[in-house]
Amino acid sequence: MFFRMEVKMYKGASHKIWSILMVSPFVVFFLLFWALPLGLGVWISLHNWNVSSGNLGFVSLENYKSILTPGTLYYDLFMKGLKNTLYFVVISVPPLVLISLGLALVIDNLPKRFKPIYRTIFFISYSISVTAVSAIFLWLFNGNGGYFNNVLESIGIIREPINWLGEQPYAWLTILITTVWWTIGFNMMLFINALDEVDVALYEAADLDGAGAFSKFISVTWPQIRNVAFFIIIMTVIASFNLYGQTKLITGGGPEQSTNSLIMNIQTSVFGMNQLGIGSAMAIIMGLIMMVIIVFQYWLSYRNKE
Amino acid sequence: MKKSTRKSLPILIVATIIAFLFLLPLVWMVFTSFKTLSESMASSSILPSAWTMENYLSVFSSVSEAPILRWLFNTAFITAVGTVLVVIVDILAAYSLARLKVPGKKMIMGMVFAALAIPGIVTLFPAFYMFKTAGLLDTYVPLILPYTASTMGVFLMYNFLISFPKDLEEAAYIDGATQWQILYHVIFPSIKPVAMTLGVITFLGIYNDFLWPSLVTNSNDMKTITLGIATLIQGANFVNPAKMMASTVIATIPAIIVFLIANKYIVKSVTNTGIK
Repeated sequence: MFFRMEVKMYKGASHKIWSILMVSPFVVFFLLFWALPLGLGVWISLHNWNVSSGNLGFVSLENYKSILTPGTLYYDLFMKGLKNTLYFVVISVPPLVLISLGLALVIDNLPKRFKPIYRTIFFISYSISVTAVSAIFLWLFNGNGGYFNNVLESIGIIREPINWLGEQPYAWLTILITTVWWTIGFNMMLFINALDEVDVALYEAADLDGAGAFSKFISVTWPQIRNVAFFIIIMTVIASFNLYGQTKLITGGGPEQSTNSLIMNIQTSVFGMNQLGIGSAMAIIMGLIMMVIIVFQYWLSYRNKE
Repeated sequence: MKKSTRKSLPILIVATIIAFLFLLPLVWMVFTSFKTLSESMASSSILPSAWTMENYLSVFSSVSEAPILRWLFNTAFITAVGTVLVVIVDILAAYSLARLKVPGKKMIMGMVFAALAIPGIVTLFPAFYMFKTAGLLDTYVPLILPYTASTMGVFLMYNFLISFPKDLEEAAYIDGATQWQILYHVIFPSIKPVAMTLGVITFLGIYNDFLWPSLVTNSNDMKTITLGIATLIQGANFVNPAKMMASTVIATIPAIIVFLIANKYIVKSVTNTGIK
């Protein structure tokens, strides 16, 4: 019989001190810059709190009440932002998920030596900031002197320039195209990794059965990437909910405030109206709505599995 | 089963068309930055008919409205210090949590998971108010330190260490190595790929962040290059696409270079975030 020597390196008093020393920088930073702001946010949301003059007194749940009471200024601000943001979630999540899956399938079917180059090209926009992306698409779509209008006019598709940024539905379409170009590579990478894990033997079996490309996808590929797909949908919903930079910089919230996102309106209540208490309450309600949606989606995916 | 090139020709053509569409905005950005103002607004051709360096010269010379070199310096400083800090803090924490049975481990891990589930918007404005109260707005402090609270790195490295064999560390311990020597000579080399991955994601995250820096900076001299571009969009360059694209080229090149060099680590990171 072989007796393994007991290694004591993970025990003892000196190691306890080491372990505390090593973990404490992270714990301190985490408490200071995450837990403390979280608690402070809840605290502030229960007060009439100005950015400039600070705490003006405890108001209990009044801030939440006025955000959720129809007809008040803050209700309008919050609900308009929420409505616009939900609209964007609805129009953006299907293309962001389906097109990225399509791209991943294209990459998956390429000959091996071509895969890295195309994968890099489809993924490159991930490295670019939302401000640079906005600068580019602002001028691609600009109604006055924008590149797309110039091209469309020169090949005779349109006579008058289209007011992409100042008219609906063009404004949402611009924001949507920008977002797809900017963020789709990340979803695609997740799908590519999921497709890499699909058991090749199952494809060969399906080939022997004479299955076509579509029926192979439905019966072999989809069941094996379904969990990743659900994860991608949840990630994409969260990302679309956080819509901010594109609408702030490209459309400026217009036309007629129709692209003002929820985060933009929360920012307005904090800085434009000086109401940090109201803004904190709005942020907490927004966070709760997102968490409810995420939990609901998890519940859906688990229910479907059974 | 190797596919012949002829059989994969249709898919290659499809992929090439899509690649063209993906690259179009970037190619347009680069060429437009060499156009004259009038051509940049009227032309439907992607190539400039007359090349000019005027836009770049004017971007670098309008120091009072757009101190672009200062913005690049700020960004380099913030991303370098922030990335190194995050990676070191996270390695130490993950090692302690995964190997050393630190007291309160369950509570710390619980916090890490809670932070992953709670949307960032909830802490954003209170964090701004904290820095305002502390008188630290418009300094480098809020542009660097808050990124260390991210739990993603701890999560990533903890998962790596948990599935990594302990044999080497134990052998070093039996040979009389101290805890510090084990960390330096055994853990660091083996955790290097994950640390690189975390470093690249953290670098791009700090480099490209927009909303947070816009809350905690006021003066033009404290802006990052990403925030500076937003300022230009909303201000001086609003009516000049050629000059706007010259500044955008300068702003995107560092991030694109890092992305291309570190491509393989980013690909790995997408796999390593723990989803199967």
